[in-house]
Amino acid sequence: MRKSFLPQPVKVVRILGALGIVGGITFFYYRIFIVNNVTVALSFLLAVLAISTRWGLLEGLVASLASMLCLDYFFIPPIGSITIADPQNWVALAAFVVTAVIVNHLSASARKQGLESTHRQREMERLYTLSRNLLLLEVRGPLAQEITNSIAQVFELPGLAFYDRTSDRVHRAGPHDIPVDAGKLRDAAMQGTVFHDTATKTTIIPISLGGQPIGSLGIQGSQVSETALHAIANLTAITLERAHAQDVATRAEAARQSEELKSTMLDALAHEFKTPLTPIKAAVTSMLSDSDLSPTHQELLRIVDEETDRLNSMLTDAIQMSRIEAGRLQLHRSPQSLRKIFQAQLARLGESLEGRKVTLEVPEKLPRVSVDPEFTGIVIWQLLTNALRYTPPGSPLTLRASAEETEVIVSVEDCGPGISEQEQRKVFEKFYRGKEQRDRIPGSGMGLTIAREIVRAHHGRIWVESQPGKGARFSFSVPRALRESLL
Amino acid sequence: MTNARILVVDDEPQIRRVMRTTLVARGYMVSTARSGEEALEKVRDERFDLVLLDMNMPGIGGMEACRILRSQSDIPIVILSIRNAEKEKVEALDAGADDYVTKPFSMPELLARIRAALRRAPLASSGTPEVLNLGQTVINFVARRVTVNGTEVRLTPKEFDLLRYLASNPDEVIPHAKLLQAVWGPDYGDEVEYLRVFINQLRKKIEPDPSHPAHLLTEPWVGYRFSPSKKGSGTV
Repeated sequence: MRKSFLPQPVKVVRILGALGIVGGITFFYYRIFIVNNVTVALSFLLAVLAISTRWGLLEGLVASLASMLCLDYFFIPPIGSITIADPQNWVALAAFVVTAVIVNHLSASARKQGLESTHRQREMERLYTLSRNLLLLEVRGPLAQEITNSIAQVFELPGLAFYDRTSDRVHRAGPHDIPVDAGKLRDAAMQGTVFHDTATKTTIIPISLGGQPIGSLGIQGSQVSETALHAIANLTAITLERAHAQDVATRAEAARQSEELKSTMLDALAHEFKTPLTPIKAAVTSMLSDSDLSPTHQELLRIVDEETDRLNSMLTDAIQMSRIEAGRLQLHRSPQSLRKIFQAQLARLGESLEGRKVTLEVPEKLPRVSVDPEFTGIVIWQLLTNALRYTPPGSPLTLRASAEETEVIVSVEDCGPGISEQEQRKVFEKFYRGKEQRDRIPGSGMGLTIAREIVRAHHGRIWVESQPGKGARFSFSVPRALRESLL
Repeated sequence: MTNARILVVDDEPQIRRVMRTTLVARGYMVSTARSGEEALEKVRDERFDLVLLDMNMPGIGGMEACRILRSQSDIPIVILSIRNAEKEKVEALDAGADDYVTKPFSMPELLARIRAALRRAPLASSGTPEVLNLGQTVINFVARRVTVNGTEVRLTPKEFDLLRYLASNPDEVIPHAKLLQAVWGPDYGDEVEYLRVFINQLRKKIEPDPSHPAHLLTEPWVGYRFSPSKKGSGTV
């Protein structure tokens, strides 16, 4: 393979050299040192062997042909002509020619094999160097160009072009500009076929990973074997993939950090806002407990008090949301009585129930559930306040729990206006507020999202069933506690 | 117990202002401090009946101030904090606080908490013995003193009231809510974590082996039970 790549003048000089050697031997034995024909023939054979081993098949062939002619002309009688008189000499010449050709062929192929194995070995070394270089490449920065440079440098290529499909750009390296355009490279990449152009001595090989085309390589010169070419393509694909994976990981990490920062800021901000709310709440409740107030003042102060509570509850929602979003939702699960959690939340709602009738439908022998009591309380509180907010004052509520095989279903049922089917799908989304209620009823739009995230963290489900005009039922499931025997 | 002296510790001037105004109007004597350090100094120089302590302050902060205060005195401490996670409540109670109120609070609620913290359970009723001898531990209910192996241990008023209530109902399982209402007051009942922390502290102080209590027994999911048997004290 390497032979065809040698410049032609070298070949001509070698052939002339081979002819010179044959001529020299002829001159030596013909003029200077007369010996018998067998010695001359053996000398010619040695010369052919040397030439074909050293230089190759063509030079060897020229030398054997020239030797045969010289042997016939100068040494086999009748001397001075290419005719042969004695039939015995015919046999000798034929033997010489066959031997010369075989020797030539054997030595040339041995040489070729030797050359090829050194070549292979060199190629392996280069592939190894390349793989090491590519592994050590910094993933940040102009990776595609660095890969191209590295391949061209390690394989000492005269010209190399690398088409990167992600950026749709062609990167070039090597002393010569390889005569292929971006279009050809792109076609090779997309079709996944190898192109050989014998006229310009370029090969274009596609690069793909897992069946996905990711680019192509154009190489000038043909001293790189097909196997090595495929290995280069694979190495390039792996390097790009590695970079891509790292990139994705970095971006995910950055997104996580930014989310965490946002949550931390939200948390800090919400706490900051609660600080001025504290003296307002303390002052207004202090005034409200004064019995000397006129009804007008009492009503006005009550408004201040209620709005303070509203602000506070929105801030609490924001703090809970930020804790959930930052992935800081750490559950401390233990077997709990839902009845107790229900009662605690109803007690917490206290006055905001505004005298509504809340029916508690809990079976006598409700199994304990494996939950974080604090967060489960938040879910129930959110569902109850949601129901209170969106149903007419005075309408009754039902808080129900029922045991299934492995879980307990909790539901909050109201007799409000209900939720349309389209809205049912959206109510758990962050900041979504019912179309009808958006402007009339205060709320942060976070309550049901908080409930959903807490239920999910418990590996439970949360859902809503409703028909417009017939109330709504929000339900969620929590796992039953395993060790009933403890109780 | 009006005329009680209350120390309000908060770095927010507006909170100090509103507390001073309201508490003075209710007949309390009020002093204020801007930091944990200042509070510790004031407590050293003056006598107070109650400390209202903000949790989040620059300097040593409320938690550390509470810990130091408790190591020096058995004065009732009510923590005021913006954070309402259970973890923080338990941490504050562990640091020696008697109660934990989440900001923003309504004034009537805080006043009720203050009254509860100041309240001492009435002196030994007829059912309670004057002195209870548990072997290594001797409780004198009249003098409000507890000795373990002859050495006096200091109990905070709430710890003492809790121990006394349990001890005056020996071998009887007392539900969480009943215990809370008897010791803290009628507004309490859900604060099971209070009991957990206080019982733990009591066990550390009076039980020969706090991890294997002989007297202050937990009844899972229900409440606590006091066992006056001396059996535990003999076998160590």
